[in-house]
Amino acid sequence: MSIMEYNGGSVVAMVGKDCVAIASDLRLGNQALGISSNFQKIFPVTDRIYLGLPGLATDVTTLRERFRFRVNMYTIKEEREIEPETFAHLVSSTLYEHRFGPYFIEPVIAGISKTPSGGVKPFIAATDLIGCLNFAKDFVVAGTASSKLFGVAEGLWEPDLEPEDLFETISQTLLNAVDRDAYSGWGGIVHVITKDKVVTRTLKGRMD
Amino acid sequence: MFLTRSEYDRGVNTFSPEGRLFQVEYAIEAIKLGSTTVGIRTPEGVVLGVEKRVQSPLLESSSIEKIMEIDAHLGCAMSGLTADARTMIDHARVTAQNHAFTYDERIKVESVTQAVCDLALRFGESVHDEDAMMSRPFGVALLIAGIDELGPQLYHTDPSGTFVRYDAKAIGSGSEAAQSELQDKWHKQITLQEAQILTLRVLKQVMEEKLDQHNVQLAQVTPTKGFEILDETRLQEVIEAM
Amino acid sequence: MPSIEQPQQRQFNPYSENGGTILAIAGADFSVIAGDTRQSEGYSIQTRYAPKVFRLTDRAVLAVNGFAADGNMFVKKVRQRLEWYRHAHAKDMPLRAIARLIQTMLYARRFFPFYVYNILGGIEEDGTGAVYSFDPVGSYEREACRAAGAAQSLVQPFLDNQIYFKNQLPAPGTSHPAHLPLSTVLSLVIDSFTSATERHIEVGDGLEIYIVFSKGSTSLQGLASVRGLQEVTTTDDGERVFVIRRELKKD
Repeated sequence: MSIMEYNGGSVVAMVGKDCVAIASDLRLGNQALGISSNFQKIFPVTDRIYLGLPGLATDVTTLRERFRFRVNMYTIKEEREIEPETFAHLVSSTLYEHRFGPYFIEPVIAGISKTPSGGVKPFIAATDLIGCLNFAKDFVVAGTASSKLFGVAEGLWEPDLEPEDLFETISQTLLNAVDRDAYSGWGGIVHVITKDKVVTRTLKGRMD
Repeated sequence: MFLTRSEYDRGVNTFSPEGRLFQVEYAIEAIKLGSTTVGIRTPEGVVLGVEKRVQSPLLESSSIEKIMEIDAHLGCAMSGLTADARTMIDHARVTAQNHAFTYDERIKVESVTQAVCDLALRFGESVHDEDAMMSRPFGVALLIAGIDELGPQLYHTDPSGTFVRYDAKAIGSGSEAAQSELQDKWHKQITLQEAQILTLRVLKQVMEEKLDQHNVQLAQVTPTKGFEILDETRLQEVIEAM
Repeated sequence: MPSIEQPQQRQFNPYSENGGTILAIAGADFSVIAGDTRQSEGYSIQTRYAPKVFRLTDRAVLAVNGFAADGNMFVKKVRQRLEWYRHAHAKDMPLRAIARLIQTMLYARRFFPFYVYNILGGIEEDGTGAVYSFDPVGSYEREACRAAGAAQSLVQPFLDNQIYFKNQLPAPGTSHPAHLPLSTVLSLVIDSFTSATERHIEVGDGLEIYIVFSKGSTSLQGLASVRGLQEVTTTDDGERVFVIRRELKKD
């Protein structure tokens, strides 16, 4: 039995033109047994940063609180909102602190940062369970359906998608990947982050 | 007729100096003692008919079984030592089922006929410790009727393991007269019903008893219904239509 | 000094896994069967050209993936059975008969299986394109598309979406097509393999795409502008078989 597959669940994030999207399934399971079809594993960190935490459910809760604490401390000390890149390193170092007794989570980070010239820069990243960062330019995946997500995303994703097209791409990627994964599924949720708003939609998926 | 035969009749697999296998030839003779059996091929299907010799009024004629099913699309009529036919038909059935199991398709009429004929010459001594199945040639001839992708077909097999395809064929005691009648009456466009009637007419000619629904049996293979033995009611209808 | 010998255990493992991926898609009157040509063991590439897709007859093509030694021997045995059948029944074995034969051959080795996943593509007797997929012990099914091998998990959900239109609603008043045109199918096959090559280390080097057309298929025109095409048909006025050979990334 793999601890990473104990509760199931998957997350994917993609870059678009001046936007990013992050999506996950909604299943919580106990191995093959489905427990909940409304288990959130993506959480807002700031207005423009979202964090996906697929993996062991108990660690999802723990890490969410831990990151809330550490981001609040950062905001108070620095008197500014944390940038996506900085947050990614915060995630990485937090996980690496537990190098030899890790949290069983493979985080996915999606956000946009403002450039000095007033533009916006999409940002996505993912790490393994001990915090090794992967700054991809296209998409990142994690969770029990990761190999399926890789396959579909590699086939569907293209550069510079507008928010609506990015939503369709990430939704199709998620749904078709989790339909082939016994540990993921039971509905999905998508957040599309743009310069001035975040659009969140829940997806109806196969319930088997 | 065979008074001059010598020791060459004895071994089932010994050639005579003239190059003949007497036991096989005798087996072919045995068929000529059997009841008359007729088969007719038409574009709509194949008809098989047999005479059932009811030797005693106490004999239950329905227990005489001379037409048998091999598979849903294959039937067989026999003449000669009918007991021998059981072995052959068993083999044909197993071959047909094995083919369907392995290939998910119906075996061809020629293939099942070939399989039966392969068995026909497997008599005499066994090789090594393989057990001998038969110590003499089969004393029976078969008319194998069936439909496959090549259409309706009729095959004749004899104890020598030879098989030939026919449009119409008669075997058994009345076969000579029956065959010439078939040759006269068969034509390319013959219908299934005409073939049923022709079968009965031919049988009637060569039978000693008066033909009725108890002393003959009809069967047919059609594309829609496959192999079926006509029950007495349907047989009666054909007899009346004669 | 006397020492006490410890018990030792040794074992021979008769199986290996040689990577690669295969894929087949059925059209209305054609069938496409493809496979990459990389053969590997662990992190080593044994060869960059080891075919996994084989023309059996003019209407049947078999793709074999898993343990290469078993795969090659299995194809050899299937071909031998096809020849015996030709001699016994005076015809080429129909596709569904080949499918059933493969099941019986695989199940005959239920307790020492051929370590291979088979995908059989070709033309049925009614002229339709068909794909049959098998597990190593002979469980089989006719489908419209199937991927197997190292990158099955990458390719199959993509095919679900693009061939079966899973999770897609048809525009109001319309419905999803049951079969796709050849040009679309070929694009999907090539995209699937370039994607798999990108993300899976055991996939790459070369791509062989076999296409079987039914007698008089109109889809043949779709091949007009295809690069690297070769006809491998053996008989006249029957089904026709073509192969497209392409390069894949070698890293």
